Amino acid sequence: MVKAVRGTLVKCDASVKAMLVDIDDKNGHEFIIDELDEEHIIVKETKVAELKQRLQNMMKERLKEPESSDSE
Amino acid sequence: MPPKRKAQAAVDSDDYDSPGEEALSDQETFDKLKEAFDVVAMSKRARATHAIDQASFLFKKCDQWDAALKPDHASRPLWIDDAGRIILESFSPVFDEAQDFLINIAEPQSRVSRMHEYTLTAHSLFAAVSVGHSSQEIIQKLNEFSKTALSPSVVAFIEKSTSSFGKAKIVLKKTLSYIESDDPAILQRLLRDPTIASCRADTTDGLIKEAAPKIGVMAIPGTKMAAGANQLAQSAATAEPQRPDEMIASLREEDDDEEVAQVHSFQIKSEEREKVIKRCQDIGLPLTEEYDFNNDEVNAKLDIDLRPHAQIRYYQEKALSKMFSNSRARSGIIVLPCGAGKTLVGITAACGVKKSVIVLCTSAMSVVQWRAEFLKWSNISPEDIAVFTSESKNRFPRNAGIIISTYTMITSTRNRSYDSEKVMEFIRSREWGLLIADEVHVVPANIFKKVTYSIASHSKLGLTATLLREDDKIEDLNFLIGPKLYEANWQELSEQGHIAKVQCAEVWCQMTPEFYTEWLKPSSVQKRALLSIMNPRKFQACQFLIDYHERRGDKIIVFSDNVYALEKYARKLNKAYIYGATPQAERLRILENFQHNEMVNTIFLSKIGDTSLDLPEATCLIQISSHYGSRRQEAQRLGRILRAKRRNDEGFNAFFYSLVSKDTDEMFYSSKRQAFLVDQGYAFKVITRLEGLEQRPDLAFSSPQDRRELLMDVLLAKDTDADEEKIAGDMFGSKYASTGGRAKKKNGVRRTAGTLSELSGGQDMAYIEYNKSRNKDLKAKGVKNDFLRKLQRGSAGAKKK
Repeated sequence: MVKAVRGTLVKCDASVKAMLVDIDDKNGHEFIIDELDEEHIIVKETKVAELKQRLQNMMKERLKEPESSDSE
Repeated sequence: MPPKRKAQAAVDSDDYDSPGEEALSDQETFDKLKEAFDVVAMSKRARATHAIDQASFLFKKCDQWDAALKPDHASRPLWIDDAGRIILESFSPVFDEAQDFLINIAEPQSRVSRMHEYTLTAHSLFAAVSVGHSSQEIIQKLNEFSKTALSPSVVAFIEKSTSSFGKAKIVLKKTLSYIESDDPAILQRLLRDPTIASCRADTTDGLIKEAAPKIGVMAIPGTKMAAGANQLAQSAATAEPQRPDEMIASLREEDDDEEVAQVHSFQIKSEEREKVIKRCQDIGLPLTEEYDFNNDEVNAKLDIDLRPHAQIRYYQEKALSKMFSNSRARSGIIVLPCGAGKTLVGITAACGVKKSVIVLCTSAMSVVQWRAEFLKWSNISPEDIAVFTSESKNRFPRNAGIIISTYTMITSTRNRSYDSEKVMEFIRSREWGLLIADEVHVVPANIFKKVTYSIASHSKLGLTATLLREDDKIEDLNFLIGPKLYEANWQELSEQGHIAKVQCAEVWCQMTPEFYTEWLKPSSVQKRALLSIMNPRKFQACQFLIDYHERRGDKIIVFSDNVYALEKYARKLNKAYIYGATPQAERLRILENFQHNEMVNTIFLSKIGDTSLDLPEATCLIQISSHYGSRRQEAQRLGRILRAKRRNDEGFNAFFYSLVSKDTDEMFYSSKRQAFLVDQGYAFKVITRLEGLEQRPDLAFSSPQDRRELLMDVLLAKDTDADEEKIAGDMFGSKYASTGGRAKKKNGVRRTAGTLSELSGGQDMAYIEYNKSRNKDLKAKGVKNDFLRKLQRGSAGAKKK
């Protein structure tokens, strides 16, 4: 029996892809359907919003933002 | 007695034991002063009553919306806000005049192409007063240039700073200390202070009165004026020296003739000098230190002059004229970009003072360079220059001379060997005319205090390219050495061809997915840094840039802080490399080859190459890893190519690339590092893609297989490999002088299982050494085999017979 899942194509940098895969791994593979190549993956359509949120959190946490000029 | 010997050896290795966070003895004084003279704090107080409109929060302190423009504001170049910040339009017709004035009274903050930013600080005003500007003059000039009327808080600030600063001077005359001032009221005020009064040496009630020395008679050696002055000096020397009483008489006559400016002074006990200086800082009347070297007959004269071929450039002259105005040596700091001739400024100052000089540098290597420069530019006899380092401990034979040493040698607190103790005793026991502190920004305040206590010098000159530290210790130098006397404009110098024009670029390299996945995993900071340095894309970019520039005929230096990466890159690309553990002989051989051999166009350097390495051949610089967000390192590295030999060729540009792995911490640090250079007017281009990189057939790590192998390698690397290199005797590694870090030891013995044939290479098809070190290739050619050498010797001997 063939099961169809609606997916969304995500096009991103290699590094962002690595982050997405990392999120997927830590959450029991419930986001990514297939990894196509270095810059393209297909994710479950229903999970897109949550994935975006998690990615944002991760970026905030892992990457230091360049300081904006702090002239008062 | 092994333990004793050990202790001595440790001291002699130029090593320094960390003094800990001991506070300065007069820490509070510093803090108090800083607080009182902080223009920001002052304007904050004034700000509380300031009118606010809807857009005010965008401008915060610089909100000047209610300041009325003058009717002819278009022709005036300055914007001055309440906080003492000054913006100068560099396209204004009166730009040159305004800049000359501002450089005297304010500190340059940022000098980009269209507008320059300056800040009025207490120290800059202090410096302004000490070169002879009066507060009236400053306010009037500022008003003239300003587009708006000066706000009362700025005027008040200028008046407050100038009235207290620089009014009283401490002068050494005939090795006695006097406090001198134009205004007797100020001296009276000082004398009312019980601490100072107790330090007074002369018992009379009145003050000593003298005519003020003429201003501006000092001719700086090496300039046109000096030629004339020399003739004058010769004719004066033939005339009989005036008898003292006649001199006084002639002085009196002068007094009668016209209103000669008068100075008043009283004498203080020399041994209480530090106390008096401190006390004066406390009561808000800091003393300027000046040295009347012309009339100092006690200290022996040093026979030193610039050689005729030494021509000093106009900005060096400007800097020195601020130091020597009114023909006395004033203590202070001179800031010039790397490669603009700081050493020559130091030497010229020494020739001006013509007394015993002590030079302090950061490493034994620069000690050697300073000595060579002294011999090159001046006519001093080689035996008069002594060197005091762990290797050699000389003294000069005559009464006057020059000693060159390192900060660590002078400040070492441990037991010294007998020889060095004797030299230290010699240094402590005499008076020095001038103390030159090279790379003065690296010296922590408490170390410098120690230096000033143990060396009695009449004047101090600090030299540096980058007067900044990541901590806020730089302020303290203002009190310990003196104010900043001069700071050169980098862009102006490169326009005029004194330093090279540089194109700066930041190359963003994507992380490959494998590497980034590893980077995301929680691991040590070092491991992550290593992963981003060893990023294969970065490696490819580096390879590409090296090839590209080698084909253009550039000489390239590649910098990496990380020794593991340095070795990996250099071996893979088959280039020579130098790091802390490279033996001295090998270093010299590699550097020589780099300078003269056309086959060696690229070298890899670790941190040891950051400063004081003079390679005028280099025209291109690639940076693959660096010390976090250190602005100073970035500027010092740029300095390596500023002195490029070919800088005056038509259309010549030097190149500075900084390779950064995208989406890692490197991006954050890189933006911090550039801040200083951007302020000096350099623009960084961002390159996201190198044209033609993909087409190259011989790229390293182009297949996923190779990349995975590299990743394995990196992951297996020990954390210690990823550590930053520590170099003994180098002051850049830590806040203190090197904390005993020594180059890494070789790994110990390891036990592994394997077959004999494997160990001898018999398992492989053939033996080829990959990733061979290029260093070995550069060895001198010659017969290696002992037997053959013996044979050769034998035949040569036979021929002689």
